[in-house]
Amino acid sequence: MIDRSTAPAPGKSLLFNLPEVKELELANGIKLFFVRKEKLPIIFTDVLVLAGSKFDPPNKRGLGYLTSLLIDEGAGEYDSLQLSDEFEKLGSIFSITSNHDLISMTLLSMKENFSRSLELLSKIILTPRFEEKDFTREKKKVLDRILQLKDEPAFIASTAFEKILFGETYYAYPEIGLENTVAEIYNNDVKKFYQDIFTAANTKLIVVGNLTEEEAVEQFNKYLGSWNSFIKTYVTFEMPKRNPTKLFFVHKENSAQSEIRVGHIAKKRDAADYIPTRIMNTILGGQFSSRINHNLREDKGFTYGASSVYQYYQDAGSFEVSTAVNIENTGASVSEIIKELEGIRKNISPEEIEFAKSYLIKQFPSRFETYSQVAKNIEQLLIHKLSINELADYTAKIEATANEDVNKSALENVFPDELVVVAVGDREKVSAQLKNVAGNDAIELDNNGNVLN
Amino acid sequence: MTKNLLKIDYEKYSLANGLQVILYPDQSFPLVAVNVWYRVGSANEQPGKTGFAHLFEHMMFQGSQNIPKEGHFRYVQEAGGSLNGSTSIDRTNYFETVPANYFELPLWLESDRMGFMIPGLTQEKLDNQKDVVMNERRQHYENQPYGMAWEKLFSNLFSADHPYSWPTIGWMEDIAKFELDDVKNFFRTYYCPNNATLVVGGNFNVPRTKDLIEKYFENIPKGITVPEIKIFRQNLSETKKIILEDNVQLPRIYLAWHTEKAFSTNDAALDILSDILTSSKNARLQKSLVFEKQIVQDISSFQYSAKLDGSFIIVSTAKPGIELEVVKNEIENGITNLISNGITDDELMRAKNSLKSSYIYSLQKLDLIVDHLNHYNFFLNEPDSFVFDLSRYENVTREQVVEAAKKYLLNHKVELNVVPKE
Repeated sequence: MIDRSTAPAPGKSLLFNLPEVKELELANGIKLFFVRKEKLPIIFTDVLVLAGSKFDPPNKRGLGYLTSLLIDEGAGEYDSLQLSDEFEKLGSIFSITSNHDLISMTLLSMKENFSRSLELLSKIILTPRFEEKDFTREKKKVLDRILQLKDEPAFIASTAFEKILFGETYYAYPEIGLENTVAEIYNNDVKKFYQDIFTAANTKLIVVGNLTEEEAVEQFNKYLGSWNSFIKTYVTFEMPKRNPTKLFFVHKENSAQSEIRVGHIAKKRDAADYIPTRIMNTILGGQFSSRINHNLREDKGFTYGASSVYQYYQDAGSFEVSTAVNIENTGASVSEIIKELEGIRKNISPEEIEFAKSYLIKQFPSRFETYSQVAKNIEQLLIHKLSINELADYTAKIEATANEDVNKSALENVFPDELVVVAVGDREKVSAQLKNVAGNDAIELDNNGNVLN
Repeated sequence: MTKNLLKIDYEKYSLANGLQVILYPDQSFPLVAVNVWYRVGSANEQPGKTGFAHLFEHMMFQGSQNIPKEGHFRYVQEAGGSLNGSTSIDRTNYFETVPANYFELPLWLESDRMGFMIPGLTQEKLDNQKDVVMNERRQHYENQPYGMAWEKLFSNLFSADHPYSWPTIGWMEDIAKFELDDVKNFFRTYYCPNNATLVVGGNFNVPRTKDLIEKYFENIPKGITVPEIKIFRQNLSETKKIILEDNVQLPRIYLAWHTEKAFSTNDAALDILSDILTSSKNARLQKSLVFEKQIVQDISSFQYSAKLDGSFIIVSTAKPGIELEVVKNEIENGITNLISNGITDDELMRAKNSLKSSYIYSLQKLDLIVDHLNHYNFFLNEPDSFVFDLSRYENVTREQVVEAAKKYLLNHKVELNVVPKE
């Protein structure tokens, strides 16, 4: 008979070979990060252009996003539909994502179709058409999407939270822009964004796949080696300050739940205590068995899930707890979250720290299973201007972190008296509950996070 | 070359208690994935007790005789693994991916809840998870724009006694009513080894794993034969139009027709029909409604096929100021045009090429592969069906796509309009 009363002991751990990342350079000086991965005949490419919405002029917020939508609407000899058709014929998946800091264009292709797919990608990068009719259509689509976002409580909560947190800086506005700022964007603005910001100077290339280093250099030189736009544009950022706790709400009529965000400005990704902070947040709200999820979901049943995260922009950091709770428990949930933030500063048990370290160290290999996962790990380091060696040192650094460093990181990275609290829900139900938490009236915001009078 | 890559080497056998086991060794990465499918979903429920299969899935993470509440998460995460479960209309699955040296852990966890679930049950745990599930429902349905549309659509497409007529998560009033005895009865009926298949994939030693599977699972007693689901062929005697008011800015139209179940004669042709109508910028309805006429914000479609039946669905959100009637007419014109004029070789090739490479791309993740082995085993009784599945699509002709459209999309349908509240 097998003994079921205790968990089986693990065997000897298998060797994990961290993929080797080679830093190469194209003829024009663009850096190419290369990883050879041979399991399948596929190649994943990531063109990372550090040209996000933070470069939007203040009266034209949404410009970077709209540029990312228009960049593949026709290039070279192909119009928008023909271009999409060419990728489909190859069975290649081309997609564009963007945020405040970057526009990333990724391509997943079969090895046999890699060269042709890369050629198409290079046409998008080097010779976008930016035709007026495409501009008009996509701009209207963005404006209608902004209209639709008024329906989505999770989006409203995050938007309002970031507006209060980041004040007048560029991280205070949604990447998609606002109704009145998108209205001010013209096709010439898109062309100018492409000229000045979407440049070779701001670009890094990552390729993970079944090809040799020589093939990679040859192919990328062939298609992108002549890209020569090396003007650099700079924007300045001043990190906003934390303020004494304030509670806000956004009215959403008849809502069944309230969407809650609680948090504050935090350190950037390159902070010296990044690792202990990550361990601490794993315990606080970074995974299912965390204190916050245990309390709000598994103990109280207030929610389907609750979590906390340190979010890292290129120029700033923030700490954010998010959850959606049934509307009657809005106030109680906010109180419990604050209690957890106070609690983590008082005491973290050695068992909790052991658990978190084990979790982070042992899950590390699984972050390198797919081709895109490998590339995205490298991308994170490039965004934050960190050394590629961070990957090799990561588990050893976690192992070496002392318990007092984790405790100290809670004191230096969690500030329960300097919170921004936002709840999106029906005014009738939410405002009184928040008043009970804080003792004074919560401040009402509009959908964009502006204070209403 | 594609065919060789998609050929999966596996071994399948059954234990004396009826548990099916499928082993798929793959030494390429130091992970092991365990995936259990129970052949029970919301279709096994009764009216008045809907949402039970899903609520029960939650209870399976509340511990059993030797595993404390939340223990599954704690053990697997401490090992650096990931885990979850999901419930559909036809089946419920549970899965863990762990570093290879922890391969025994999921076997222990899964066997304890398969064999010794009831001693871990308490009223307190049930009350807690009822609250969690009601909040899951609020978050994903009540508090989402258009969130109530799907259950409205399916409860009109299928008659009230058909098990696809209610939502997997269940009606709110049913969730609130569940009692501990319901949980126990459900467990005894459906969570027995003879109603489950265990797949283990990845970097493990085959003889040793077989031995451990035997030890962990063999003494779990065989259950009763699971009751069969009785269904009736569904036919709409007329087209139904339903208007639903919601907190939305833009109106949205849903069209639904009865079609065929998964892996039946026209299933693959209907998938390709859906691709040709909406899956890319060049797809017919995308091109005409989104790109050229610009009367809709988005449009999508799919052949939603399951174990007992299937339906074809088109969903589209109108641009401000555009009537849903106009959108509907355009969609219907697109369909009649396709039926009268046929489709081109280029359209068919585009759809097939995208499908072909997507099969190769899907081989990147072990947990997806093992779930697919269970999927194929469930529907086809043959886990290694990647090649067969792909060939279903490769063999579809232009004529078959048109015939499938003609056979189903000219019939009566359900039309749901979700419109902004006055």
